[in-house]
Amino acid sequence: MNKDFLYSRSNNEHTKIKLKNDITIGEDFVIIAGPCSVESYEQVLTIAKSVKKSGAHILRGGAFKPRTSPYSFQGLGLEGLKILYEVSRLVKLPTVTEVLDPRDVSWVSEFVDILQVGARNMQNFSLLTEIGKTQKPVILKRGMYSTLQEWLNSAEYILKEGNPNVILCERGIRTFETYTRNTLDLSIVSAVKELTHLPIIVDPSHATGRPSLIGPMSLASVFSGADGIMVEVHHDPKNALSDKDQALLPEEFDNLVKQINKTVNFYYNLKNEG
Amino acid sequence: MQLKELRDNIDNIDFQILKLLNERYENALKISKLKDKIEGQNREQEIFEKVKNNSFKLLDASFITDVYKKIITYSRELQSKDLKLIGFQGEHGAYSEEAAITYNREYVPIPFSEFKEIFDNVEKGILDYGIVPVENSIGGAVTEVNDLLLNTNLYIVGEMKIKINHCLLKNKETDYRDLRVVYSHPQALAQCRNFLIRNKLEARPYYNTAGAAKMLASEKPNGAAVIAGKLCAKLYNLEIIKENIEDNYNNITRFVIIAKQPSEKGNKCSIVFSTPHKAGTLFNILKIFAEAKINLTRIESISMIEDKLNYAFFLDFIGNPNDKIIGDTLNKVKKETSMYKFLGCYQESKIKF
Repeated sequence: MNKDFLYSRSNNEHTKIKLKNDITIGEDFVIIAGPCSVESYEQVLTIAKSVKKSGAHILRGGAFKPRTSPYSFQGLGLEGLKILYEVSRLVKLPTVTEVLDPRDVSWVSEFVDILQVGARNMQNFSLLTEIGKTQKPVILKRGMYSTLQEWLNSAEYILKEGNPNVILCERGIRTFETYTRNTLDLSIVSAVKELTHLPIIVDPSHATGRPSLIGPMSLASVFSGADGIMVEVHHDPKNALSDKDQALLPEEFDNLVKQINKTVNFYYNLKNEG
Repeated sequence: MQLKELRDNIDNIDFQILKLLNERYENALKISKLKDKIEGQNREQEIFEKVKNNSFKLLDASFITDVYKKIITYSRELQSKDLKLIGFQGEHGAYSEEAAITYNREYVPIPFSEFKEIFDNVEKGILDYGIVPVENSIGGAVTEVNDLLLNTNLYIVGEMKIKINHCLLKNKETDYRDLRVVYSHPQALAQCRNFLIRNKLEARPYYNTAGAAKMLASEKPNGAAVIAGKLCAKLYNLEIIKENIEDNYNNITRFVIIAKQPSEKGNKCSIVFSTPHKAGTLFNILKIFAEAKINLTRIESISMIEDKLNYAFFLDFIGNPNDKIIGDTLNKVKKETSMYKFLGCYQESKIKF
């Protein structure tokens, strides 16, 4: 790792990003929840109200979907952004959505509070450069074949352009294991904390692809030192237009938040004891 | 592709037909204000003859007579309803029209290109009311309107404070990623400057906001959007990309409603006066209000058209002239001024979002 790079821990304070609802990423343990895709106004509103009640801090939802098949649902685009904006205003939750195309960066920034670069775009350098020119907080997901060094270099692309608000997100990497969708690399979270000043969150939904494993991995994330988690929640997963097999039901999510809150308290006490 | 083009043409034509029909009825309503009784058969016969003898191959006489029977019957129906007409400046969809609708949904908004036409038509009795902007929180006083208030014999009978909500509008078939230029009134463009810079859009001045929306819908220039009010989206079949794109959220325009007859009711008044060129004359007037403990809500000076070295002072205050304290105060003010005009009493407006 290069100590002179902007992401480096040496000579840099921990990055803290304050959101409009007074939640600070890099300080509070943030819970990001919502559907994989924005499907309709009613769908997003229902889920947003439910996850907010359970204790989520940020609403996620994809308007542009990078699908492995070009024939799968590609997202609602601009219509989806308008839905997120409207729901965010009503429910009072900040929002995060993925941006795929450098031409969309300014437009997406008009509608949501946090941008997301997906795993498949981690090394889309023109996209990273464009995001670097804004001041929008951005969640940079780890590419599924990427080393820590490559990931941090991608973060550097954004930081170098003048946008300091980078949040890393571990979402599992490809290994020989096929039972889980990917392999969650929790050790990298602790490593990121040692080497950089950037906040890092964990996405156990994409990492495991199995609802039953999301809970345990979320709790484990707390102990890895992560600054938060991002999980997919859907009130009607059977009819979801994407990633239907890995979404938690609202009641499962509600339960998970309770467990996370207890775990976070326990972990903070432990840390304070030294 | 050809089918789509032809269908688009038809949609466009339907929109034009609706617009022209609406315009026809607007004119019919203006006429009904001119005459006491709705004029009889002669005029209608004249119209039927004209359309029957049209030279279009496809519009045969019996068909077009049927169409016009419907049109004229409805016109008579409208004329007999005693609808109140309110004139506004600009094209349909203008912020002034939004203000008129917010003020009273029952009134029929009629567009005029100049403020002066609105004042003239209210004086002639063709319009029952006019709605005109007097000031904007960013742009300041609208001097032309203030001049007209000073120089005509109309009364202010109402006011309306509207928060201006600038929207970015595009044609439905345009991809937002292809947008390069934005047409609108220079003031609207200036008020959304940061938004335009953020999204790398070039500002192109146009004579007014609703006019720009109308042009976008009919001419469909490539890679273009407009900044206009929400009403324009509906009227011109445009898609709202985003609402409230102004840099400064406190963009409020105050409109007044003008009429031939003053209103008795209300809790706010406007007067205009000028004072002799002597030391302390303006102060003496303000002192009268201060001593009577009357709350002034606006004071504005504009130079008078016929005498550029002299100023007229517009003053708004809370109160009703039938109230004895206010009545006495105004009598005192009259004696101290070289010109004095009571502009009207009306209900104060809250800011409408």
